[in-house]
Amino acid sequence: MDGSGSGAVSVAFKDVTKVYPGSEGPAVDSLDLDVGAGEICVLVGPSGCGKTTAMRMVNRTVEITSGDIEIDGTSVSRRTPSELRREIGYVIQQIGLFPHRTIAQNIATVPGLVGWERDRIDARVGELLELISLPAEVADRYPSQLSGGQQQRVGVARALAADPSVMLMDEPFGAIDPINRERLQNEFLRLQAEIKKTILFVTHDIDEAIKMGDRIAILREGGHLAQYATPAELLMDPADDFVEDFVGADRALKRLALMRVSDIDLWEAPLAHVGQATGEVRAKLEGAEVPHALLVDSDRRPIGWLSDSDLRQEVVPQRADSSPHPILDLQDVMRDALSDVLQAESQYAPVVDGDGRIAGVLSVEVIGDFLSSPDAKVEEHPAAERPLG
Amino acid sequence: MIPVLAQIEVREAGEGATTCQGKNDTFCFDYAIDNLGDYLGPTGEHLLLVVLSVVAGLLIALGLAVISHRRRWLVPVFVGSTGIIYTIPSIALFLLLLPITDRGIATAVIALALYNLQIVYRNSAVGLNNVPASAREAGRGMGMTDRQLLWKVEMPLAMPEIIAGVRIATVSTVAIATLAIFAGAGGLGEVIYTDGIQRDVFKTPIVMGSTICILMAIVLDAVLLVVQRVVSPWRRVRTI
Repeated sequence: MDGSGSGAVSVAFKDVTKVYPGSEGPAVDSLDLDVGAGEICVLVGPSGCGKTTAMRMVNRTVEITSGDIEIDGTSVSRRTPSELRREIGYVIQQIGLFPHRTIAQNIATVPGLVGWERDRIDARVGELLELISLPAEVADRYPSQLSGGQQQRVGVARALAADPSVMLMDEPFGAIDPINRERLQNEFLRLQAEIKKTILFVTHDIDEAIKMGDRIAILREGGHLAQYATPAELLMDPADDFVEDFVGADRALKRLALMRVSDIDLWEAPLAHVGQATGEVRAKLEGAEVPHALLVDSDRRPIGWLSDSDLRQEVVPQRADSSPHPILDLQDVMRDALSDVLQAESQYAPVVDGDGRIAGVLSVEVIGDFLSSPDAKVEEHPAAERPLG
Repeated sequence: MIPVLAQIEVREAGEGATTCQGKNDTFCFDYAIDNLGDYLGPTGEHLLLVVLSVVAGLLIALGLAVISHRRRWLVPVFVGSTGIIYTIPSIALFLLLLPITDRGIATAVIALALYNLQIVYRNSAVGLNNVPASAREAGRGMGMTDRQLLWKVEMPLAMPEIIAGVRIATVSTVAIATLAIFAGAGGLGEVIYTDGIQRDVFKTPIVMGSTICILMAIVLDAVLLVVQRVVSPWRRVRTI
C-alpha cells in the first residue's frame, strides 16, 4: 500500500501552556517538545500530569492558552479546527466507532468528509482492512459484531484512512485485555515500520511507553516536562527522583526489554561431536566458562547437554542425557530469553544464529553481570526494528 | 368486548330482512355492513388528521430537540412547557383555539400536534443525549462540524428512540383525534358523536367508529415499527 503517501512531518510544541478556566494552576506548563518526523513520541505520566491535554491541543480539541504548536512548521492556530482535524489521525481509548455505521462506513469517515470519490474510498477501505489483518467480509458488519481487539484495529484503520501525516493516539490499547494489548502493540509497531507516521501516543503505563516510544516525554503533575529522552536513556539515566520513581525500581529489568540476546557477550560452550573421544571433551571442560559440554551435530546445531555418565564412555554417544532446551535465538528479546531460561529451571541455554548453528551460551550469571555493570550500554533500536516480543 | 359481542344481533339464516334495524341499544351488524361506505370518508379524514398532526408535531419536537441539544439548560424548559400543554384537557384546547383559528382542519391539527410535542420531544432529547460520548468525541476529533456530527452521527443514532416516541404519539393521536369533531374537522368523531351519541346513543356507529380507530392505531403502529427497524439495522445484528 501507499502508506507513506503523505510524508511524515515534525510536530513542535513551543512554550505551550494550557490553563483551564476556573482552575488554579496550568494543566500544561510551558511545554517545549520537538517530535521528529516519523517518530513515535510517547507522553507518559501520572493522572493529572496534562499528557492528554497536551496531545489534544495538537488537533485543537483543546485550545492552547499561550504558546504555539507547529506541524511541519505551520501553526495549528492558522487552520480551522475541523480542517486541521481531518489531516490528523485520532484514536481514543474508548475507540468511538459509530455503532450505526458498518466497518467500511466507519473507516470511510474522513475520506467522506474531505470528499473522495466513491471508488477511491472503496479501494482505500479494502487496503486498510488488509493492513490491519481483518478479513474483507467484516466490511459490511457493524461494530457490535466485532471483538474489542478487532474494533480497536478498525479504530486505527479509520484514523489512517485519509493518510494523515500525524496521528494522535490517546491510550489506544488501554481498554484491551493484557494478552490482546500485547498483540495489538506488536501489530502496531509492525504497521508503523511500514507507514512511518509522526505519532503522539499518550499512556499512563511506563512499560507501554518504553515499548512503543522512539522518545518518551515524562510529564509530572502540573504539566511540567520532567524528561524527554529515548527509552534507553530514560532507563540508564533518569533526570531526577521523580523520573526514577516513575520508571520504577525494576528499570534494570526493563532495559532487558530493549535488548536482544545478540547485544551481550555470550559465553562459549565446550562443544562435542558424536564419535569424538571423550578425553578431548573432558580436557575442554577444564577451566571452561560453562561447566557442561554441549553435543552438536555436524552443522553445529545443538543436540543436548552431555552428562558426566555420557563422558565416562570411550567416545561421545549419539544422544545426550539432557535436552538442550530452551534454545534461544540471537534475535530474541533479552527479557523473553531470561524468562525462558528461568522457566526451564536451567542455568544455561544454547543460543543459535538464524541457521540454527550454535553461537554461544546464555546463562543467568551473564545477565546478572550485565545488569550490575554500571557502564552496560543499551543498544538503540529504531522503532522499526525494535524487538516485538 | 364481551358485553358488546353479546349485544350483537345478526340476521337470521335465510332471512332477507334485518331484524336489528332501528334498535339503538344493540350493535347491528347488518346496519354496519349496509352503511360501510359511510365510514370511508370520516376514516380518510381521521387518517389525514393523524398523519398531519404527527408529522407537524415531529418536526416541531425535533426542532426543539436540536435547539436544546447543545444548550442542555433548555431541556427542562422545553419538557416543562410541552408538559403543561399536554395536561390541558383536549376538549378545552380545541374550544380555546376556535376563536383564533376558526373551525376546520387547521385547528384540529394544531391542537393534536401540540399534544404530540411532549412525547416526541422528550424521546428525541433523550435519544440525542444517549449517543455514546465516545462516538461524539471521535466524530469531532476526526473533523466533523457540529452540523455533520448532528446529522451523520447523533440523529441516526437517536432515530430508534425518536420513532418510539412517534409510535406512542401516533396511537394516542388516533384516539384524541375523535374529538376533532368539536373543531369542525370531521374524522371518526363524526361517526361516533354525530351518528352515534347525538342519535340517542345509537350503538352501531359508536362501535364501528371505535373499531376503525383501534384498527387504524394498530396498523399505523405496525407501519412505524417496520420503519423503526429499517432505520436501525445495526440494532438487529447478532452481537458478540
